[in-house]
Amino acid sequence: MDLTLIVVLVIALALFFDFTNGFHDTANAMATPIATGAISPKKAVALAAVLNLVGAFLSTEVAKTISGGIINEDPTTGVAIGPAMIFAGLMGAVIWNLLTWLLGLPSSSSHALFGGLVGAAIVGAGFGAVNYGVLLSKVLLPAIVAPLIAGISAYLCTKLAYAITKRQSGTSPKRGGFRYGQLFSSSLVALSHGTNDAQKTMGVITLTLVASGLQDAGSPVHFWVVAACAFAIALGTYTGGWRIIQTMGSGLTDVKPAQGFAAEMSTASAILTSSHLGFALSTTQVASGSVIGSGLGRKGAEVRWGTAGRIALGWLFTLPAAAIVGGLAAWITHAGTIGVVIVAAAGLAAMLAIWVLSRKNPHTHETALSDIDNSGAAVNILSKKERRAKAKAEAKAKQQALRAKAEREEAEEEKVDNA
Amino acid sequence: MIDWTAFLIVAVVTWAAALLIVGAYSLGVRLLAVAKDEGAKSGLHKSGAYACFTLCGLIVAFGVVLIVPQLSEAILGVS
Repeated sequence: MDLTLIVVLVIALALFFDFTNGFHDTANAMATPIATGAISPKKAVALAAVLNLVGAFLSTEVAKTISGGIINEDPTTGVAIGPAMIFAGLMGAVIWNLLTWLLGLPSSSSHALFGGLVGAAIVGAGFGAVNYGVLLSKVLLPAIVAPLIAGISAYLCTKLAYAITKRQSGTSPKRGGFRYGQLFSSSLVALSHGTNDAQKTMGVITLTLVASGLQDAGSPVHFWVVAACAFAIALGTYTGGWRIIQTMGSGLTDVKPAQGFAAEMSTASAILTSSHLGFALSTTQVASGSVIGSGLGRKGAEVRWGTAGRIALGWLFTLPAAAIVGGLAAWITHAGTIGVVIVAAAGLAAMLAIWVLSRKNPHTHETALSDIDNSGAAVNILSKKERRAKAKAEAKAKQQALRAKAEREEAEEEKVDNA
Repeated sequence: MIDWTAFLIVAVVTWAAALLIVGAYSLGVRLLAVAKDEGAKSGLHKSGAYACFTLCGLIVAFGVVLIVPQLSEAILGVS
């Protein structure tokens, strides 16, 4: 198959992936300030789009991780895998993403991307094609560590925010000011989303250019690649906004402005620092870590471990599952031009089918409005009434236990007396 | 092979930045609440609150400067 044609195909598919990423993640950044009424939905969506655009131009560290790290370089051809394999990997990621979206499973589009690429590389060029050291230290470990760091940060920040704003004399703490702070923190989340997620697509496009000999290995990311990815993610963010407007007032977890501010600040700090060090993160996972952490920082919070476990399992599953789909696509691509055509056709058919299904059943997208909302459900925050009831029940149980103990001791004493 | 210091940097920078910003903003919110109390020096408290909010903005701006290579070179002189 013509080399330039396949390169164009990969770039188009990569930009489509970038678009869906923005489309899917608008809600993550802007749902809370819209819900609290700090900003009108239309303005929020436009703001998020602009900030994603700006964020994409800020750094290229993550793009370098993907284009020059994960897939090993071949001394003769530049990169161990050809553009056809990258196409197969990307298709695997797209199909896996659409499938999980349709089924409402928690998943990470970033991990689907890495999984698809790794699977295709292994099938296409053997196990030696993947640099497992980089995969471990820049993708897998950050996937565990970064949400944890963000979660701890959100926990501490929530405690701090409530402690500082607490008024002694029984006057109202007037925490409404955090509503406007959330506008600020949500903007930072949108910006950080642009710095990390848009760069993944830049990395894939650069990898393709290097693999097809159109760019030297190790050379910086071309400006047109940065610009194209920035616009694709911004456009996706903007068009994704209608979903928020449609589903307003449904499914949003109970997040107080002060808590939301703490969570979003933690998310933005963690993602921005990670991007700077070239960690290719799932922004959704980091944001989920923050939401759970900030929930735990509030009074009377308890974790629903079942829900939290289910979400974590979904994440754990994403990379290997996408790797299998990507590997399968790579195996078909091995058949030459006809294989590429089959993979492209299968991918297009899957996209069309899923689009039709989602039209038929417009409620499916509500379940996926925001993965972060799903994570929010992992923390149960008891209201004052519930807390009082719980304390009462606990005190009662304690009293009963004490009484039972006393009765037992009395009985024993009687026994001793009788003896 | 695994760069553990990178994780340490991410952790420390995230915690420091988030706590500083949230702390300063919370102080600002509290000062605004105090300014509305009866008999308080509302002007003084209000300007204190706005100073806190400005500090938040400055911390974020500093962070962005650190991340963007062109800016950090131009402003801080390090790349």
